[in-house]
Amino acid sequence: MADSAPTQPKPSSSVKLVLLGEAAVGKSSLVMRFVNNDFQENKEPTIGAAFLTQKCNLPTRTIKFEIWDTAGQERFASLAPMYYRNAQAALVVYDITKPSSLTKAQHWVAELQRQASPGIVIALVGNKADLASAGGADSSDDADAAPAAEGETNEEEEGTDARRVATRTAKSYADEESLLFFETSAKTGQNVAEVFTAIANAIPETSLKGPRGVGGSTNLNRQEDARVNLAGTGMSMPDKGCAC
Amino acid sequence: MDTLDNSEWDVVIVGTGLRQSLLALALSRSDKKILHIDENDYYGGAEAAFSLQEAEEWAKSVDESSTAAAFFNTSVTKPDLSPDSSTPQLSPSRKYSLALSPQLVYARSALIQSLISSKVYRQLEFLAVGSWWVYTTSSGNQALREPISIHQTDSIRGSLLKVPSGREDVFQDQVLDFKSKRALMKFLRFISDYEEQPQEWKKYEYEPFTTFLIERFKVPEVLHAPLLALTLTSASSDQVSTMTALPRIARHLRSIGVFGSGFGSVIPRWGGMAEIAQVGCRACAVGGGVYVLGKGIAGEGKYSEFDGKLRLKDGENITTKWCVRDHAPSGIPAASDNRSVTIVSSDLAPLFPSLGEEAPIPACAIINFPSGSIPVEGWDQERAVPSVQIAIHSSDTGECPPGQSILYGYVALSGAQGSQLLKKAVESLLASVDITPAPTILWSLQYEQRCIPVNGSGSLHMTWGEGMLTFKQSQFDLAFDDRILDEVKEIWQKIMGEDAGDFLVFEDREPDIDDDD
Ligand SMILES: Nc1nc2c(ncn2[C@@H]2O[C@H](COP(=O)(O)OP(=O)(O)OP(=O)(O)O)[C@@H](O)[C@H]2O)c(=O)[nH]1
Ligand SMILES: [Mg+2]
Repeated sequence: MADSAPTQPKPSSSVKLVLLGEAAVGKSSLVMRFVNNDFQENKEPTIGAAFLTQKCNLPTRTIKFEIWDTAGQERFASLAPMYYRNAQAALVVYDITKPSSLTKAQHWVAELQRQASPGIVIALVGNKADLASAGGADSSDDADAAPAAEGETNEEEEGTDARRVATRTAKSYADEESLLFFETSAKTGQNVAEVFTAIANAIPETSLKGPRGVGGSTNLNRQEDARVNLAGTGMSMPDKGCAC
Repeated sequence: MDTLDNSEWDVVIVGTGLRQSLLALALSRSDKKILHIDENDYYGGAEAAFSLQEAEEWAKSVDESSTAAAFFNTSVTKPDLSPDSSTPQLSPSRKYSLALSPQLVYARSALIQSLISSKVYRQLEFLAVGSWWVYTTSSGNQALREPISIHQTDSIRGSLLKVPSGREDVFQDQVLDFKSKRALMKFLRFISDYEEQPQEWKKYEYEPFTTFLIERFKVPEVLHAPLLALTLTSASSDQVSTMTALPRIARHLRSIGVFGSGFGSVIPRWGGMAEIAQVGCRACAVGGGVYVLGKGIAGEGKYSEFDGKLRLKDGENITTKWCVRDHAPSGIPAASDNRSVTIVSSDLAPLFPSLGEEAPIPACAIINFPSGSIPVEGWDQERAVPSVQIAIHSSDTGECPPGQSILYGYVALSGAQGSQLLKKAVESLLASVDITPAPTILWSLQYEQRCIPVNGSGSLHMTWGEGMLTFKQSQFDLAFDDRILDEVKEIWQKIMGEDAGDFLVFEDREPDIDDDD
């Protein structure tokens, strides 16, 4: 989906998105899959943070994601506030083979609900779904479904299956907190694009390019009209408007 | 974090205010090992932006006992708003992003250049500062100097006059007569290259600017206030020297038209300089810098012989080649200014007239209350009252919900007189705008900010051992002062030594970033 359509006169807006979650759950891998359609088996931990962008074409508009991928290691915990400030979307990631990572994800969700912009769109993402045995997961082939459908999961997920977090557990938590919910695999690409598309669709049109969270929403055109372009014509010579 | 104990760093930056964060940005592509800490649990230091609740917590947490703290005398006022649905109400706390540093940045400022050359401008949004207004009372100057008792003040209703923003504005002005216009045009022509004509003004250098205007250009008194307003100084009119005024007015005029017609300065969206500080920290984190909130260094000011060892407040010992921090308390009693933040139940639309068809919608208006336009109780008439500045931010800044606006007030006067003056200025402003229903105050914060007087001679690191560098704490100025950037550069250069390269010049981290701006 992303980046394929030719340039059309569709309205384009940028969305600031932050990734949060415990170390090694696959945040950077998800971003790499989404941005480069690539995967590394032994990805090194993120130091500090990383910034990437990717476009997402919707039928009526283009969304340019400005993605801030933060480091999950505990020693970087202080970083998060500087990235979720004014973010319009957050992707909170856990690893379906590691229950502690869901607990950590729930902490992040609580912090976002307390501190981030009131209108922030939050998606809860259970990653490494490829490590669950086929019967255990439920969201594998339902490509066009928005948040993963509740249901088919059977509870006997033990066996050779590495899954330790039942889809149902996470899904019902996500529903309670009104979060988007997906199980993904950065390794196979399963559901990765869907997460970002769902987020793009969930961002209210009015908040695009408008106040990112704080201040609520105002009229889109007005926001466009207020912005000063520093890079364009500026910084060369003052033009006719000059009083001197 | 595990622990910082025994860790080793190239640079430890203490505090996440604007200066420190610009330094972090400058160092973000160096291979230095950087630890950036702040003892607060928020970013931004003296340039932070707060939700309502955070602002109230901040006001409570300010250390009133310390004579060195940057802020003191804080108070929050919430008028009793009847819960009746027809009266305007405060919105939820996080609908606000109130700036401790609501400064404007002139288009010609070196800061703009640096934000562009370092590529971080892509993560910022800037809005235009539109009209400049001067408050006047119809009663004439004579009456203004009369001390008016506080009991009878509420009924003076003044008016706001728009400062002409260019030649055309001057010609179209209805109030000015032809002679005044000519005098003004002559002055404007002079100031466009005043540096080249020292003979015109050198002997007035230390004289009041108003004297210079009268004697040299016969600029009539009605035009003094508007021209002084452009200087953005809060000193009283008789204390603004020609030397102070000329560069400031020139800076204003030379910036007009750079980014579009009709305006010359901008403000960052989302809470003033907090946003720029944040962008600096983010860039440094992407470069591998380690950030820890809630950590300060112990033994404030006891580093006269810095040997590379620092102790953090919770007992961890670290070593570093360089430590950069704010000016330490010096024992010299600092001057202070009064500041205020007021949330108002109106968008105050009449103060944001369009800048023209092609121009962006303005999001900030500047109101100047000239010396003496607001009476101060018990003022001794020997000297003139300082002028008051109010910057109004519209909801386009994201600092408040639509239908409201934020008034940031500033006066270079300490104590109760200063705070009284600010309060009256806000009330007078609201009374002078013709809007129904009349705008009301929903919430306000008052505080004083200390400033260590900066005398040109002071070196940045005089009393410290090699390796301990300090930033000065200069007086608040409604416009970003480029000397801050010079300071950052000086410290950066010291740390980088020989292989410093160009200051704040970077390539995009992402090669294929598209230029859709
Ligand atoms: N099997 C499988 N492995 C994955 C998946 N996603 C990531 N990994 C692996 O998990 C490890 C950690 O992935 P990262 O993307 O670096 O994790 P992170 O969340 O960015 O980690 P930090 O940067 O330390 O916070 C790497 O070795 C990845 O190859 C996945 O979907 N399936
Ligand atoms: Mg990572």
